[in-house]
Amino acid sequence: MKDNKVDEIVKELKELEPLIMQCSKCGTCQSVCPIYDKDLIETSVARGKLALIEAIYEGRIEEAQRIFKHLDYCVMCTRCKQYCPSGVSTDEIFLRAKSILRKIKELPNWQKAVLKIIMQKPTLVAKTAPLMHIGLKFGSKQVKEDVFKPLFKEFSQRNIVSIKSRPFTSKYGGLNKAKEEKMRVIFYPGCAITYIYTNWGEAIVEVLNYYGVSVYVPKTNKCCGIPAATMGDLDLYKQMVNKNLDWFDSIEDASYIITACPTCQYGLNDMGQKITKRKAKVPMMDIVVFLKEVLSINIEPQEEEKSTLHIPCHYEREKDNMLKEFMSKNIAKDFSSLENQSCCGFGGTFNIKYYKDSGEIPKSKTQEIKEKGFKKLFTPCPGCAMQLSDVLIKENLDTKVMHPIEVIYEGIKKPG
Amino acid sequence: MQKVLIEEFERIVGKQNCFSEIEDTMAYSYDAFPEEPKAPDIVVKPNDYEQIGQIIKLCNENSIPLIVRGSGTNLSGGTLPVSGGCVMLMTGFNKILDINTDDLYAIVQAGVVTQKLADAVAKKGLLYPPDPASLKVSTLGGNVAENSGGLRALKYGVTSHYLMGVKFFDNEGNLIKGGGKPVKLVTGYNLPGLMLSSEGTLGVMVEFILKLVPPPQSRKTLLVVYDDLIKASQTVSDIISSKIVPATLEILDNFTIQTVEKYHHLGLPTSAQAILLIEVDGHEAAVEDEYKKVADICKSLGGQIYIAKDDLERDSLWQARRDALSSLARLNPTLILEDATVPRSKVPAMMQAISEIAKKYNLLIGTFGHAGDGNLHPTILTDKRNKEEMKRVEKAIDEIFEITLKLEGTLSGEHGIGIAKAKYLESEVGQSTIAFMKKLKFGLDPGNILNPHKMSL
Ligand code: SF4
Ligand code: SF4
Repeated sequence: MKDNKVDEIVKELKELEPLIMQCSKCGTCQSVCPIYDKDLIETSVARGKLALIEAIYEGRIEEAQRIFKHLDYCVMCTRCKQYCPSGVSTDEIFLRAKSILRKIKELPNWQKAVLKIIMQKPTLVAKTAPLMHIGLKFGSKQVKEDVFKPLFKEFSQRNIVSIKSRPFTSKYGGLNKAKEEKMRVIFYPGCAITYIYTNWGEAIVEVLNYYGVSVYVPKTNKCCGIPAATMGDLDLYKQMVNKNLDWFDSIEDASYIITACPTCQYGLNDMGQKITKRKAKVPMMDIVVFLKEVLSINIEPQEEEKSTLHIPCHYEREKDNMLKEFMSKNIAKDFSSLENQSCCGFGGTFNIKYYKDSGEIPKSKTQEIKEKGFKKLFTPCPGCAMQLSDVLIKENLDTKVMHPIEVIYEGIKKPG
Repeated sequence: MQKVLIEEFERIVGKQNCFSEIEDTMAYSYDAFPEEPKAPDIVVKPNDYEQIGQIIKLCNENSIPLIVRGSGTNLSGGTLPVSGGCVMLMTGFNKILDINTDDLYAIVQAGVVTQKLADAVAKKGLLYPPDPASLKVSTLGGNVAENSGGLRALKYGVTSHYLMGVKFFDNEGNLIKGGGKPVKLVTGYNLPGLMLSSEGTLGVMVEFILKLVPPPQSRKTLLVVYDDLIKASQTVSDIISSKIVPATLEILDNFTIQTVEKYHHLGLPTSAQAILLIEVDGHEAAVEDEYKKVADICKSLGGQIYIAKDDLERDSLWQARRDALSSLARLNPTLILEDATVPRSKVPAMMQAISEIAKKYNLLIGTFGHAGDGNLHPTILTDKRNKEEMKRVEKAIDEIFEITLKLEGTLSGEHGIGIAKAKYLESEVGQSTIAFMKKLKFGLDPGNILNPHKMSL
């Protein structure tokens, strides 16, 4: 019985061969992989992981489950794919291989719980948010405005941005109409903005309304499915993407889908398309890209303090320069880019599973922030923001992590 | 490997730096040369020189093959553990110990990535010229062991021109010093010279003193388009024979141009039969003068000249060249990259021969490379699963080497012999040279533990 299962797995992994063979083993991925940079061993980097999958279907490693830990130990930052000269789809290969291996390697209980509840019962999560909010407040000590340190042992190393008592969607769910409406869009908040960075969600809706854009917000946020994918449940991931696409497509009069989490966008759009072979009817884009390229807003920078920018790994690479320019022309008066543009190390479930490794990744980045004395660190991703808030506090830095939309929102709130 | 031996290794480097499970060792069963993978028995990642010495001793006493590895970007299978044994990772030795701007040298550990040194040196207003295509990942230890070249080799030379001193361990684990900081130094054997292109067979290198130079003040980059491959190659030998030495002189054939364009859309002329990328650098007046001479030669052979307007354009031209190999790699599953090198006046004959061989064996071969050095990279695109085609590939390679030697060239300009070209070595150097190499190798390493089987030793 067991053997049949193993044979099947080998056969399924073999189906990845055409994708894996594209790898010429040039080793370039070593120069961009955040965990290789830290560990300096081959099993950390894409080339090693690909070679291990290959070794299974070529029969050089017999017990397939042995390689799972190496595939799982990956931030899924997709940097290896972005910089691979041979265009190897490392992300797709890793996710598919993990889901194949999951058949013989069972998921730990807590991961099962996450998949069951957070993914499939979003209304329940929304209802319990006030409890979590209270739980976090009482079971923790506040380290700075809106950041808490949980007191339970397992999580006591972390500085966590608080879970808000009222999810963003329960206040803004539905159509938020602009006064002089010139366009309608959908805003997909994702879990992090729904429960944690609710102020980003508010700022996005209000700023869009201010510019004459009406905004549809889901009444209950459905997770983009990426955590399911990284835990090796591609079926559930597919379901989540489909559910979200169904909702997007059901809205007839929206011209764009706006996101503020590059990982959600990656999950619903890029990887989503590969796995579901389906695409939303209207274009999906990040809020900053939308403001700059569709609305062409041109505002004066308001932020006075010395500022810099962390570009999320899942941000569209072609937009990096646009983002930097936007920061210096429209957001911050005293702006300079970071030399270190590597990964923040968060990676969602990666941070939960490998907390220590996750925290080591951005060390040289926080060092640079410290040396150059930045007071504001902007980043257009809630995942990066959570991670960077945590590591900056650990370095005893009072640098504040923000989304650029917060500055724009402050600007429009000012009278006159 | 016996459990007691594994425990010995663990005792030296610590359990967390010692890997003997198959899912760990399998990740060291390859490098960038396409060959049947073979996993080592154990992989160790030492953290200090003392540990290195102990590992070598342990291997020597127990006849365990020892393969030293940096980033594993070797293109001749030099880091493959052909007969198992111990792979020792040098990646942890990644410190730049000193950059001396008065005496123009840098002291670095063997695991420093080439690009990181180049960047650190540039920040201090100096230049470390060797720039192998893999410089973003390759380590300096590997660069010395293979005597790596690069795009700038024509004018600035290869790694050997910059190696002033070396620290290495011998087969018994003794630390040996060779060379030093003075520009002139003739005390005893030239040990840095011995270590160059030794491919890890004579010692375990840990530290280098590398020469630095002031960067050129100005430069000019040209793209020259030809409708005839042979005329482009003729331009190369004419430029060299008229006593001009550009910093770089690269060629791309039609097939390579089309492939680069297909994937990268840089605006290259896809109908061109060949392009040359030429850069002259130095003092402003000299650059202008050389540029004019080069341009005249190009024009006289029917080349159309475009000059890079600014750094951005220059970068995109060089990007086209750097993308050559990876673009070709996208076409077919298996890529075999050769680096046969001929005297520069023979470049036209070599280009001609390669295209004839491609036709004869009905193979896809893209050719590009450092034409100014006579160092061409005929790149065969194939599929290792296609046994019949692989036979033709093998014959084509044999023939490429045959013609290279006939033209008084060499099997390898910069990738090394490793296992890839071991069987051809004798035909280039002759039997007595092989015998001398053996005496040298087995005199220094009688147990043959240091990277055995490479260069057929
Ligand atoms: S960069 Fe791409 S081709 Fe090169 S080793 Fe990594 S995955 Fe393979
Ligand atoms: S996705 Fe990121 S962490 Fe994972 S192998 Fe690629 S570069 Fe490394």
